[in-house]
Amino acid sequence: MMLALVGGTHRTVPLALRERLAFTAEQAADALARFRNRFPGREGVLLSTCNRVEFYAAGEAGSAAPPRDELVSFLAECRGLDASMLAPVLSCEHDEAVARHLFGVAAGLDSMVLGEPQILAQVKQAWALAQDSHTSGPLTAGMFQAALRTAKRVAAETALGRERVSIPSVAVADFASGVFERFDDKRVLLVGAGKMAAETLRYLRAAGARDVVIVNRTAARASDLAGRLAARAADFADLERELAAADLVVSTTGASDHVVPLDLFARVEPHREGRPLVVLDLAVPRDFDPRIGGRSGVWLYCVDDLAAACEANRRSRQREMPQALAIVEEETRRFMGDMHHRTTAPVIEQLRAGWSETGSAELDRLFRRLPHLASSDREEIRQAFDRYAAKLLHPPLVSLRSESHAGPPHGLLDALKRLFNLKD
Amino acid sequence: MASFLSGISIVCFAASYAVALACEASRLVFRSGVRGAAMVTFAAAGLVAHTLFLGWRAVVSGTAPLSSPFDWYLLAAWLLAAGYLWLTVANPRTPVGLFLLPIVLALIGAATLAGREPFLHDAASRFWGRIHGGFHLVWSVSVVLGAIAGLMWLIQAGRLARKRAPSQGFRMPSLERLANVTARTPAIAAWAAAAGFVSGIVLNAVNRRRGLMETVPWTDPVVLRMAAVVAWLVVADWITTAVRRRPDAGRTTAWLALVSLAVLAGSIAWGVLGATQHGKPHGAAAPGAIVEAAP
Repeated sequence: MMLALVGGTHRTVPLALRERLAFTAEQAADALARFRNRFPGREGVLLSTCNRVEFYAAGEAGSAAPPRDELVSFLAECRGLDASMLAPVLSCEHDEAVARHLFGVAAGLDSMVLGEPQILAQVKQAWALAQDSHTSGPLTAGMFQAALRTAKRVAAETALGRERVSIPSVAVADFASGVFERFDDKRVLLVGAGKMAAETLRYLRAAGARDVVIVNRTAARASDLAGRLAARAADFADLERELAAADLVVSTTGASDHVVPLDLFARVEPHREGRPLVVLDLAVPRDFDPRIGGRSGVWLYCVDDLAAACEANRRSRQREMPQALAIVEEETRRFMGDMHHRTTAPVIEQLRAGWSETGSAELDRLFRRLPHLASSDREEIRQAFDRYAAKLLHPPLVSLRSESHAGPPHGLLDALKRLFNLKD
Repeated sequence: MASFLSGISIVCFAASYAVALACEASRLVFRSGVRGAAMVTFAAAGLVAHTLFLGWRAVVSGTAPLSSPFDWYLLAAWLLAAGYLWLTVANPRTPVGLFLLPIVLALIGAATLAGREPFLHDAASRFWGRIHGGFHLVWSVSVVLGAIAGLMWLIQAGRLARKRAPSQGFRMPSLERLANVTARTPAIAAWAAAAGFVSGIVLNAVNRRRGLMETVPWTDPVVLRMAAVVAWLVVADWITTAVRRRPDAGRTTAWLALVSLAVLAGSIAWGVLGATQHGKPHGAAAPGAIVEAAP
C-alpha cells in the first residue's frame, strides 16, 4: 500500500462532529509535526475545510502508508476525540482510489455546491502546509501536482464551474450584466436593508458599481447599512426621485404589499428619459408590481425568476459531470502509471550501472591495445558505446513503462532480474 | 513566389472562412478547449490568403482593389473578415462569427457573380471613382455591422425577457454595448451613402465631359436604387435620433438596422442581376485607363 486516505465529508460526518474534527491552520501544522514524529519516513497532507477533513498518507517499500486504524487514532488524538466516535464515520481508501478521490475533490466534484472553485485553493494550501511541515515527499508531491492539473483541465474543458448557482451572483452576472456593459457609471438603489441586498451589492461592487444609494422605511437602519457598505442613505420619502435616477434597483423590504405599485412607477417613468432599468426584486412578497416588468426598457426579475435560472445552471453543471469524471479517470490512470513506474527505478538503475561498468571495462581494454588513438577518437568511440547501450536498453524500458499503466510490472521486473542476474 | 501568389484562389480563403464558421457553429453543440485557437487560425489563414489575392490582383492588373465590382465585393468581405478576427480575439466568448461570417461568404459569392472587367477611365477621373467606391464601402460595412449588432440586441433582449440564464456557447454582449453600435452606425451609413451618391454624380459628369464612358441617365436603375437607399438611410438616422430618449430606443434602432441590411441586400442583388449603364465603357474609351468604383 503506497497511498492511504482517511477522512469524512459533509455527506458522512454529522455537522456537530465535523465542527470538533475540523483543524485550524495552526492545529493542522501541529498535527503534521506530530505525524512526522510518529510515522517517520512517511508522507502526509491534511486537508481541512468546513465540509471535509481528510488525511492523505503515503509511503514506499519499507515504510508503507500507515494502516487505517492508526490514522484514525492519530486524527482523534490530534483533536482530543475518542477514536471509537470517529471510526464509524470516517472512510478509508487505498492507492488508486485515493488519487481518484483527491482529483475529484480538487476539481470540485465532491463539493456541496458542485464545481465550486474555492476547494482548489484549499487543496493548494493543504499541500503547501505539508511542504512547510516537511511531511510532503515525492509521492504526495506527484499526487497533488496531478490533482491541480486535473482541476485545471476540468475547469478548462468543461463548463462545470462557469455557471453561477447563487441568486445574487446569477442576478448580477447573468441578468444585470446582460443589460449593462459597465456599472461604474450606474446608480444602484437598494430598497430595504435585507441581508440579500448586502450580498447582491458585494457582486455589484466587484463588477464596478460605485454610486450606491440605500432607502429604508427605518432611516437609522439605512444609515447603518450605508455606513457599512460605503453607500449613501436617502429618505424613504424620496423613493420616487431615487427611482427616477437609478439604473439598477435591488429591493429586499419585508413589506406585505407592493412598495412600488404600477401607478407610482408610471409617475417616475417620464423622468427617466428612456434609460433602461434593471430591477432585482428579491423580496417575498414582491416589492415591485409585476406589471412593471412589462414596461418598455424595464427588466424586472423576482426571486422565483432568479431561482429558476440557478436551478437551470445546477442542472447544466450536472450535465458536465460525465466529462469531468472522464478527465479524473484519465488523470488517475496516468498518475498510477507513473507511480507503478517508480517501482521499476531500482532495477533500471542496476541494469544501467551494470552495462555501463561492462562497457567501460571493454573500452579500457580496447584503448590499451590501440595506444595510438587520439583523445578525440577515443571520445567518439566512447560516445558510440554509450549510444549502443542506450539503444539496447530502450525496448525493455518502453515495455516496463507500458506495463506500468496496468499495474506494478512485477513479472517483467522478475524476468529482468533473472536474465541479467540483478540482486534486490 | 509569383507562381505561389497566382495559385491563391477565391476557394482558398472562402474555405478557410467556411471552416471558421463551422467552428463557430459548433459552439452551440459541444464544448472544446481548442476551438478558439482553431477559429482564429482558420480566420487568420483566410485573411492572409484574401489579402495576398487582392494584392496580387492589384499588382498584375496595375489597378487598385476598387477597380471592378468583383474587387469591390472582395474588399468589403476583407474588411468584415478583418473585423471578425479582431472581435473574436478581443471577445473570444462572443459568437460574432455566426453573424458576420455568413455575410463575408455571401459577399464573396456575390463577387463570383459580379463583373471582373475594370471600369475604363482616364487618370483625371480616377480620384472621383476612388471616392465614389470608398464611400459605398463605408456605408455598406456600417450597415452590416449595425444590423449584426441589432440582431444580437434582439436575441439578448429576448433571452432577458424570457428570464433565462445565458447558454455557455451563445453568450451575447450587453444590450448597452450593442445599442451603442446600432445607434451610431445609421449616421455613418447615411452620410457615407449620401457622399457616395454625390461623388457618383460628379464622376458621371466628368466621364460625360470627357466622353470616356456611357453616360448613366438619371432614370438608370442604379441611380434610382441609390437615391432610394440614401433616402432610407437618412430616414433611419433621423428616426434613431428621434427615439434616442425613449425606453424602446434599443428595439426600434435594432429593427431599423435590420431593415437597412435588407435594403443593402436588395441593392446588391439588383446590382448583380439588373441591367444598367453604370460602369459601362464607351466605344471610344481610352484603353487601359481604369478607375475605382462601386458596383
